[in-house]
Amino acid sequence: MLNEWLLALAQYLDTHSWSTQIHESIYLYAWIETTHVLTLMVFLGMLFVIDLRMLGLAFPNVRASTIAERLDKPMMIGLALMVITGLLLYYAIPVRTTQSLWFRIKVVLLVLAAINAFAFRARMQASVGTWDSDPRPPRHIRWGAGASLALWAGVVVTGRTIAYDWFDCHKELPFAMYWAAGCVDEMAALASE
Amino acid sequence: MDLYPFFDWLDTSLLADISKAYGGVFAVVQMFHLLGMSLLGGMVLVGDLRLLNLVMTDTASNIVIQNTQKWFGVGLVTMVISGIFMSSAVSLKLYYNEMFWAKMAALSVGIVFFYFVRRPLLSGPHEAINPRVMNLMAITSIAIWFTVAASGRWIGFS
Repeated sequence: MLNEWLLALAQYLDTHSWSTQIHESIYLYAWIETTHVLTLMVFLGMLFVIDLRMLGLAFPNVRASTIAERLDKPMMIGLALMVITGLLLYYAIPVRTTQSLWFRIKVVLLVLAAINAFAFRARMQASVGTWDSDPRPPRHIRWGAGASLALWAGVVVTGRTIAYDWFDCHKELPFAMYWAAGCVDEMAALASE
Repeated sequence: MDLYPFFDWLDTSLLADISKAYGGVFAVVQMFHLLGMSLLGGMVLVGDLRLLNLVMTDTASNIVIQNTQKWFGVGLVTMVISGIFMSSAVSLKLYYNEMFWAKMAALSVGIVFFYFVRRPLLSGPHEAINPRVMNLMAITSIAIWFTVAASGRWIGFS
């Protein structure tokens, strides 16, 4: 049901002339993708600095809360621009992207990274007074920072693999893979055999 | 100096065999390339934005610079090693790609600027440096590394 709904939405977006124009333009799509990668660097770069401090690997002589608070704004600016350009990239090629297994895994990882970020922030704010100046934060903070880096590494690799057609709907795949990728027509064809 | 023989050798090397045959390995190495570049970019941005008095203004700039330099090196090494592996998959194509050479030129300028200009200048007390020189250095640094990242992305489009 969800697969059908997502595909219908993608097909509706695909009828928009703007979607086609972005996709078929010589430079616009390339510029949007370049901006997406550059803002990913700004966002991830700031996140690296914060997470490395929380892992006790960088800035040991600077309070953890100072790093987190001061870099929050540039990190969020990077995130906002990255999300906007990401949505435009999706809008330019909605059907294939919706039916990309990698894109779906990327979205799941993004949700997990967001949940981890909120939980991590809450845990940090609740306990920061006791370890703020310690060069090596407590174990639960280090685990949160490690999870953040691992999840974002996953987001980067799945974002990059969207370009590969290994599990695209036109390939011969098992039913479960068709389901995971949202290949509605191919699932129906397999079911009717 | 013509570097064609190196690219020709790279095209038939073991690295090329692996990068061409295993798309999954290539994608993972590409992830490390992007993570290395993000790490490097983050350290450059935090350091240069501090020099421009735009972030972490309540922390001394020499402390910020000191802390970013080691991780800049880690990011650079990650980026270069993963970059050589990625290049092996399409080395002859890259040899004739203008944007690739633009990136290599920007990368060389960036490395020379970082290790022979920025780092020696910032190794002493920052108060002794003319603020205009500091600002100019920070803006130049951001511009160089922006060019490296942007031209790298455009290799795929050119």
